[in-house]
Order: sequence, then C-alpha cells, then structure tokens
Amino acid sequence: MPEAFVPLTDFVNEAKSIPKEHSLDQPVAKWTEEELLDGEIVEAGVAILRTRGCYWSIKEGCSMCGYFNDTVPGGVSDEMLREQWKKIRPSLKGKRYAKIYTSGSFIDPTEVPLDFADEVMSDMKDMGIEKVLIESLPEFVNPKNFNYTNAPKLEIAIGLESSSSLVLDKCVNKRLRWPHFVKVCKSARDNGAEVKAYILLKPPYLNEKDAIEDAVQSAIDAAPHVDKISINPVNVQKNTVVEKLWMRNEWTAPWLWSVVEVLERCKDLPVRVYSDPTGGGTRRGAHNCYNCNKKILEGLKKHRLGKGDLADLICDCKSRWEVMKRQSSLRRNGSEPHGYRNGFTSGRRF
Amino acid sequence: MEPIGHEGLGRLLDLGENLSTPHIVFSHNDLTEATDLESGGSIKIGKSFDLPPKPLGLDSDKEPYLHLSENIAVLDNTSSLRPQKIVEIASKFREEAGYSRLVYAPAVEPSDMPILAYLGVDVFDDLNVELRSSTGWLLEDGSWIKSSSKVDIFSANREELNRWVSKIRNSISNGTLREFVERTSLHNPRVSQILHHSTQLLVEKGAKNHYLIRANNLSLKHPSVIDFQERLSRFTPPVDNMVLLVLPCSARKPYFKSSSHKRFFNTIREVDNYLSLHIISVTSPLGLVPRELEFCYPAAHYDIAVTGVWSPTEVEMLRTQLSRIEPEKHYCKAIVHAGSSSEIMTTLLKERGLETIDTKVERPSSFEGLEVLQNVARMSLNGSEPVNSKQRAQGEAIGLANFQYPNSDFLTTSEISGRMPYKLRCGDLAAISPVVGGFGLTLSGGKAYSSNGGGVVKAENFKLVGDLFAVGVNGHKGDWQIGDQVVIEQKDEITAVGIAKMNPEEMVSMKRGIAVEVRHHA
Repeated sequence: MPEAFVPLTDFVNEAKSIPKEHSLDQPVAKWTEEELLDGEIVEAGVAILRTRGCYWSIKEGCSMCGYFNDTVPGGVSDEMLREQWKKIRPSLKGKRYAKIYTSGSFIDPTEVPLDFADEVMSDMKDMGIEKVLIESLPEFVNPKNFNYTNAPKLEIAIGLESSSSLVLDKCVNKRLRWPHFVKVCKSARDNGAEVKAYILLKPPYLNEKDAIEDAVQSAIDAAPHVDKISINPVNVQKNTVVEKLWMRNEWTAPWLWSVVEVLERCKDLPVRVYSDPTGGGTRRGAHNCYNCNKKILEGLKKHRLGKGDLADLICDCKSRWEVMKRQSSLRRNGSEPHGYRNGFTSGRRF
Repeated sequence: MEPIGHEGLGRLLDLGENLSTPHIVFSHNDLTEATDLESGGSIKIGKSFDLPPKPLGLDSDKEPYLHLSENIAVLDNTSSLRPQKIVEIASKFREEAGYSRLVYAPAVEPSDMPILAYLGVDVFDDLNVELRSSTGWLLEDGSWIKSSSKVDIFSANREELNRWVSKIRNSISNGTLREFVERTSLHNPRVSQILHHSTQLLVEKGAKNHYLIRANNLSLKHPSVIDFQERLSRFTPPVDNMVLLVLPCSARKPYFKSSSHKRFFNTIREVDNYLSLHIISVTSPLGLVPRELEFCYPAAHYDIAVTGVWSPTEVEMLRTQLSRIEPEKHYCKAIVHAGSSSEIMTTLLKERGLETIDTKVERPSSFEGLEVLQNVARMSLNGSEPVNSKQRAQGEAIGLANFQYPNSDFLTTSEISGRMPYKLRCGDLAAISPVVGGFGLTLSGGKAYSSNGGGVVKAENFKLVGDLFAVGVNGHKGDWQIGDQVVIEQKDEITAVGIAKMNPEEMVSMKRGIAVEVRHHA
C-alpha cells in the first residue's frame, strides 16, 4: 500500500480532536425521498445511524469526507443504537425501499455490531421492506459480515471514487486498489447482494476536464462489476481537506454541466448511471450560474428517476463551462476565479 | 539568458530570439496540456520546456513552494495565496529555483502581474484573461470594462495583455517598476497588501539602483527610503555638543547645491565658530538628512510635491528618525529654520528635551529670514566650544562611513583629509563619489574592505580590462545587494573594485551580462 498523503491533515486532525456533543439516542437524520425500485418510482425511507464512524476516518480519512463530524469517537452502545432504531422505525412503515446509512460502514462489525444489524434487518423484512441499501468500505464486503438470518434484498454501496490509483492515492487518500474492488463486487453479487458504486466527480486537485475524464473512465471500468453507479460530484464538507483547499480557492466545486456530460457519456453503459448532487446549486456543491442551478438539478432528478432526458438542458453559462473545460487542462489545479460562472457580473472582483 | 536590469527582486532578462522577461505566454499557442493526470505539460518560451508535475496532493502552505522542472519553476496557486505567504515565498524564490530557472506564475490577474514581477516572477500566462474574454470583458490598462462593441475580444485582450507586460519590462528598464506597482496597488487591496508586506524583503534583498523616486504617500514604504531611515541610527554627528541647525529641503539635489542652501551657508559662514553648526535638512519621505549624507541614495534622487502640510504618518516618521539620531545626546541646542516645517520640528525636538530655538521665519531663504538666522546662530554659538576643520572632517568621515558600512573602522582609522562635500578622503582607501553615493572605495580600500566582511567576487584568471562579466565569475564570498560595492579577487589577489550588477549566486549561474561595473583596476 502506498504512503498516505500527509498534507493538510493537521487541519483535519485538529477538527477531529474537538469533542462533539451528540445525543446518542437520536439518529443523525431521517427523511424520505423518491427512488427507483425495479423500474417503479417509490418513496424510500432514509436514515443515518449515529455510530463510532468510519475506521479509516479515525486513522487518516479521505480528503473529501466530513462524515466524521457526525460520529461519536468512543462508539455508541448497543442500547443506544436500539434507541435510535426505535426512532427510525416509524418512518420506514409502509416503505418498500430503505436506505440505512452510518457515517462509516454498516457492515463493519466493530462499528455496527452484528447482532444489532441482524435484528434491524429482520425487523425491516418483517415490516415488508423489499430492498435495503447500506454503505461500506470494500474491506468489509465479506459474506460473513452480511450473512443475516432474515433480511430484505441487500444493496451494498461501495465508494469506488475512482478507478485510477493515482487519483485514489494523491487526491482522495483512499486505500483502495482496483483489483480488490473487482473482487469484493464479485463476492457481494455471488452472495445475493447488489452492488452500487459511488464515483467521485472532481476530487480535490483535479481540474474540470481531468475530473470528467476520470469519472467517465471509472464508470466504464466499474460498469461490468456493479449494478448501478452514482456519480457524486465532490461537495465541500466541514473540516475536510477539500474544505481547506476550497477556502484557499485552490479548488472549486464542479460544474453541473460536468455532471451532465459524465451522465451523457455514460448513457450507453449496461448499468444505470445517475447523479443526485449533494449540496447541488450552492457554492459548496456542484453548481452552474444563478440562473440555471435549479433547472439543471430538476433535470438531474428527472433523469435519476428515469423521467427525463439531459440533452434538452440549456443555459448561457454552458459556453463559459466549455471555455473552462477546454482551458482547465492547462490549469495546474482545480480552481477557477470567483464569479466566473456568473460572467463576473456579481460585482465581486477576483 | 542575460540579465539586463533589476528592480526590487524583479529582473529584465534577455532570453534571445527577441524575447525577454517578464514574459507572457498565450495558452492557445504556448502551453501544451499534459498527456496524463500527473505531468505538467509544456510551455513554449522560444523553445519548448517541460513544466514540472502538477502539485497533486500537496499543501501549498508548506515548503518547497516552487515546483521545479529543469528550466522552469512554477509558483502554483499564486492568485489565491495569502499576501503574506506570497512575500514569504518570494523571499525563497532563488533559494528554491536558483537563477537559471524562470519563475512561472500560472493563471494570475493582469493587475497582480506588476507586483509579482517586482518580487521576481519571470513568466505569466493569459489563462484568467481568456476567461474574462469569454464573458465579454475588455482589458484596458490592467482593469476590466464591459464591452459592448463588436471587436474580437479575445484577440483585443491578448494584444492589451502583451502591451501590459511590455510596460512591466519597460518599467524595469527605466527604473519605474515601483511606480507602476504603486499605481496598480491604489484601488487593489490585494496588490496593496502584498506591497505592504514586501517592504522588508525588498530592503534586505532588492536591487539598490539609483533611480529617481517621484515620491508620494506610498514612498514612505519605498525600500530605499526605509533603508536610508534605518541606517540613520548608525550615523553620528561630526563632533559632540554642536548646535543643530534644521533647514528645509530643496528641490535641487543634493541640497547643498541649491540656491537656498548656498545662501544659508553663506550666511552662517560669517558667524564665528560656524563649524560648530551641524546642518540637517527636514524632508519627506526621508525625514532627516544630515549634510554628510546628501550624496547617499536616495537623498539626492527624489522629488516630492511640497505642500507645507505634514500628515500624521509623516510626523510619526520624523519622530522615529529623531529617535534614531538622539539629538539630545549629541547636540547642546538646536535652531530650527525650516519655514513651514519649523513648528513641527520644534515641537518634536522639544519633546526629546533638547533646547530648541525656532526662528519662526516663514520664508527661510529670504533676506529677512537669513538675517534672523545669522543672528540666532551667532547668539547660539556664542561661548560654544570651538571646532576646527580637521576635527570636523574627521567627524564627518566617521558619520558617513558608519552610515555606509556596518564595520567602518577599516576606513576611519586611516588619515582623514579634505572636507565635505567633494574633497573628503579616508587616506588612500576611499574618497567621496557621487556615483557610489558616499565613500567610493579605491583599490586599497577594496583590499581593506574584503578583509572586513565586504563582498568578494571570485573571477577566473585573466587580465581584467573594463567591467567583469558573469561568464568570468566562478565564486563569491560574503553577501551583497545589487548596487553595493564589491571587490574582485583573481588568484587570491584583489584586482579590482566596483559596483555589483548582479546578486551573488546570480553572477555564478549566469553566463552572460555584466556582473560588476568596475571602478578601479589594479
């Protein structure tokens, strides 16, 4: 394994060392959202359990991930996890699809105890939930970690981020190797689970064009091994390396046009490729100009639910994005001047 | 590559093929993208040069700040680095990049280019200008106007950018880059901050060329002004217990050549024991200029609008300068005959506890004014300890030598003769030189200087005729700034003394250009 990159981790470590006051009997969040289940739009119940969090985040962490902000460093007792589950249950009633997240890996037994996970799965099955999405680092995708006694159909989302080891090492700081990813995808699918891959769009340090190319290539590489692909434009989460670079204006969040281009270029892949940009339309998330952010996000939502075509989306700012994309391969980082997406009309000088 | 001129840390280099620095590359012609994620592509400056790899996974806040390929050093993130950080990095440019690499700052705004060139950046590009062009903004004289005309904005902006950078080059060659930078800083907080923070760096490492300073309020931070002011604490009046005479400055420089100062001198020389009067002129932005230092740069090389009004900043500067001279320790009393500056000088001198007489004359060089001056001088010198011309010359030489050289004993222990301004000599070691701006070293002086910590340029063994070129330099001892006097050593023998035209390491790495302008040969 390569050495992890050290820069900027002082800043992140400082943030991690500040004690956080979270109520342990409450989940981080719960909501419902529209999702596609077997070609049908259904309302999915989503909840985030508050846990110890991702083991990798405790060791070093990925450059863009700020989920450790929601975790409890000493861990959460089984009792408290059960309390959280009690509060989540009602929102899942009547749902056919559930997404149970932690700020780490659901199938890491040191983060979510197996007994508790087994109870939860069986509870969901009894509630009539047909499919459950959970997330995990690839290192925990081992049948012994999801060999539940009674569970709905399992969908394991794995953060591939990129199929390029250079991007993983230098931009993301994730200790993942492509052959290992392929291996765990096979293992999951052989054991009855579906696999969803997360691919990052514009990890820190990459410019717009390299970012698009890397995401498209990663999707092409991943497609034969997974069941669906979510393109995740990098957004600025609190206390992360990305936030530091963003604050210094050494990196800017990707354009929504870049998301559209990646999806368009992936439309002939044998799996569903879609995107639901976190923080979309804000400075911290993928965005275009003031005028079209909403329109493009709406278009992406329709595309995600199989109701729309991205080719119809237009805005004046697209020509600016094209200039930026062409030029970005000559820029040495992922930044661009403030105000460019709005044509420098907001009065802010750069 | 041949250095033709320097200002601040900036350099005008002749790159051959009609190219010189600061140079602008145009992305559509001169930059080639990389074939993979990590490498940096190439840049065309006459020839094509590889760029260093992109700074993937690196922290711009940590050293090394420059990324190096064989010929190019890239300062990434220039447009977003904090002003203080840019200055900190600029202080390490040559340590990291050496002199033979060109420092390239990608994607910077035109308005940042003059200050960056002043701090040593050699190459810029049009990436940000291209983005502006694509949004319909027209570049004019470094700022942006929304264009409604149907011109081809892309090519118009490229032409204007070319003009803008050639203006930077011209400024270096005319010695007006500082002025250019000051102008761009006026309504640009970022440039203004970088300029503010770079003062000390420029004092310590900048080229000391004797260009005219057309002063304004910003000139209080001009590196040569700050340098002069700081050195004043090394200056001592010729003899203790003299009477200080504060006079106004004059438009003509050095002041003693002006008609007003000639009249002052003719007036006071008629007073007995006038050698006990020590003249210091009060001025902005320099503050206080003792007569002995009137040749020293920039005392004879500045011009400023005379308004008769002292701003609070200038008053504070005068107060600091007085604290450097400590008049209460060296003078028995002071006469202030400085017209509109009299009131403030009298207050400041009294603040320091020195007995001060204000002649209260509005027009100091008028017939009436001179008469008052003569009377007050006569009264003040009455009964003061007599000073003879030899004592006075000795003191003047020490004051000037201390101001110019940190360890000046090697000069002042020699036999001092002559008198200010032109004839003052330190034995056969040094004599007043308006070109050097104070004591210019002779060859013997150079020998003495070299054994007292002075900078030594080691040159190849050849018969040195005329100036020394960089190609003949093979080493150096000690440190200096461009414009300082240096000694040339060949085969362990001092063979010449002159004025450095390049920085120490620069002389060694450059193969072309004048390294030392020789004043005396063996």
